[in-house]
Amino acid sequence: MKALLNFFTSVRVAITLLIILICASIVGTLIPQGRSTQEYLVRYGQLGALLERLQFTRLYQSFWFVGLLALFAVNIIVCTLERLFPKFRRTFQTKLETEPKNILALKIKDKFKVGLSAAETREMVKKELRRRRYRLREVRTDNRSCLTARKRVLGWFGSDVVHLGLLVILAGGIASGLGSFRQDLTFTEGRTLSVPGADFTVRLDQFVTEYYPNGSVKDWKSLLTVTEAGKPLFQKTVEVNSPLNHRGYVFYQSGYGSDWDHPSLEVWVKKKPDPSYLKKAWLKIGEKTALNGESLVLNAVRFIPDFVLDEKNQPASRSLEPNNPAAFIEGWIGTEKVFSGWIFARFPDFSRLHSGAKEADITLELKDVRAPSYSVIHVAKDPGVSLIWVGCVLLMVGLGLAFYWPPRELKIILEDSQGKTEVTAGGISVKAREAFQTEFESIINSLRIRK
Amino acid sequence: MTESTFFLLAFILYALAAAFYFSHLFSNKENRARIGFSVALTGLLVHTLALILRTVESGHAPFTNMYESLSFLAWASILAFVIIEAKYKVKRPAGYLMLIVIALMALASSPLMPKETTPLVPALQSYWLWLHVSVTLIGEAFFAIAFITSIMYLAADAKERRGKAAKSALTAEKLDSISYRSIAIGFPLFTLGGLVFGMVWAYKAWGSYWSWDPKEVWSLITWFVFALYLHTRIVMGWKGRRSAAIAIIGFLAALFTYFGVNYLLAGLHSYA
Repeated sequence: MKALLNFFTSVRVAITLLIILICASIVGTLIPQGRSTQEYLVRYGQLGALLERLQFTRLYQSFWFVGLLALFAVNIIVCTLERLFPKFRRTFQTKLETEPKNILALKIKDKFKVGLSAAETREMVKKELRRRRYRLREVRTDNRSCLTARKRVLGWFGSDVVHLGLLVILAGGIASGLGSFRQDLTFTEGRTLSVPGADFTVRLDQFVTEYYPNGSVKDWKSLLTVTEAGKPLFQKTVEVNSPLNHRGYVFYQSGYGSDWDHPSLEVWVKKKPDPSYLKKAWLKIGEKTALNGESLVLNAVRFIPDFVLDEKNQPASRSLEPNNPAAFIEGWIGTEKVFSGWIFARFPDFSRLHSGAKEADITLELKDVRAPSYSVIHVAKDPGVSLIWVGCVLLMVGLGLAFYWPPRELKIILEDSQGKTEVTAGGISVKAREAFQTEFESIINSLRIRK
Repeated sequence: MTESTFFLLAFILYALAAAFYFSHLFSNKENRARIGFSVALTGLLVHTLALILRTVESGHAPFTNMYESLSFLAWASILAFVIIEAKYKVKRPAGYLMLIVIALMALASSPLMPKETTPLVPALQSYWLWLHVSVTLIGEAFFAIAFITSIMYLAADAKERRGKAAKSALTAEKLDSISYRSIAIGFPLFTLGGLVFGMVWAYKAWGSYWSWDPKEVWSLITWFVFALYLHTRIVMGWKGRRSAAIAIIGFLAALFTYFGVNYLLAGLHSYA
């Protein structure tokens, strides 16, 4: 037990852990993380399987990396505690320096005589130090006054606050890793989705994409309504960098697209024998649409945004972009199918409608295709987040104390010597020696004026 | 005058300042370093105007592509040096730092870097852009100074070991101490801007404060290296050559986080 404790209090262990963490992190950026077995096989051959087995392919979540972080945390706790108690003792139970020669062993020091009595000198020193916001402690022996003056002592505890902050951040990381819930919700306008595990629903009222004059995307805006127990609670526009927050769930604008499964198709109907005949209609997939003033009913059976014939000569879509929109349309009169066939927006001449074995005397043109856009909203519930922010604040307060709030300590001994007073002064400021030296000299000068 | 005129003017002033500083380095005439400082300060002012004009022209923070962020890093490096010079009264590292600044400015003006202002993509439309990038780059500017003084330390140390005394008051020991002071200023800034503000913004924009994206990991690596520097120094009492080596590695890691990751490793952080 003792040996184990000694192991963890050793700074060498901390240094070694830091170096291992650095190396492991570098390796993790060189091997692409979280890809498929297939990809690793192609990339690394035989080695791929080994890398996967050693969890190098999801390194930052691997047992050994998390284990290293845990060791690091234990090391931080033990090292911090071990140094904390002596530090408290030093801060609150100061042993005042009573030997001038110990003060003269310091790096910053001075010794001189003042033509005032010991009592007067003491008051003057105290006044000067208080003016500079030092806190004083004092003991007196028969012919000596021993003073210790300090300021910014909190700076001594900066590193401890930093370490505490890091531990809180690690705890937040654990909470996030174990308790996070994340999901992408895909909405089309008007759609209401329930959030798994939550007792409220979210509806997308409106989704707009805004563009800059040069055509690049300026913003995506999803207007969401949160409904609880059947009652709409509030509405908010979610944009990138401006999520919606409700009951610990946060909703982010994360993606968008066009829903080509539910397009609207504008079709122009013409008759070959009658060039002046023209009827226009908007069709939806699976909905029969009667043509104005006609007994003919049109039915769009299928839509393909980027039409291509696959290896088996079957219609398929090459992409989700409307590069070659095509629709399969049927024409019905009563219960009789009078024609059917593919029509193409880009290639009207390829359209062929068949009525049995014959070509129909009607032509259809696919004039316009539109798809409702959908918005992808990333919903996350992360129980670690508040710990992370607390940890970050501690981390920064600690760093501020450690590096921008350096403690200064002055030790002064006043000795009565035939009506005059001999002053021996010295000081320590490990982290701000230059600045402290300047202040020290200015203090000494202000005392020497009364020589 | 336009932003690019001011940028060019600042570039010329920095080159001029470098010339004065180098002439000081070899002649040891104090006066030349003083002129160098004034010229560099004028360059900084002109450069500040260029950055302001850029902001007005584009309507967003002046660090959304490589040209802008290189220019800003050069600006921050000069700013950091002005602070260090004022605080610790050292002039000799300036010449070498100017070389880095000139390299950054030259890289920014190279035809490889598109200079036209482009409207902001949705992910960057946030005031966190200002906070995250500016504070991180100012922190890295202090690392750049530590990098210079660490290299100068290694040179001075090698000389002193051969028994030659330092020509100026800037001894190896002093250089070592300035490296530490610069890191002590830069480390909290880098932590705040790079890691803390980065996490807050990632949480706001992507929904997750940490994704182990290569840029995130490399800034963590940089942070670990400087944490190593501070612990070996403060707790184990390392100084001198070993400290200098860690400071140099740390700056190279910061540089890789800034440049290398964009060009060599793919990830979420695909802006600049």
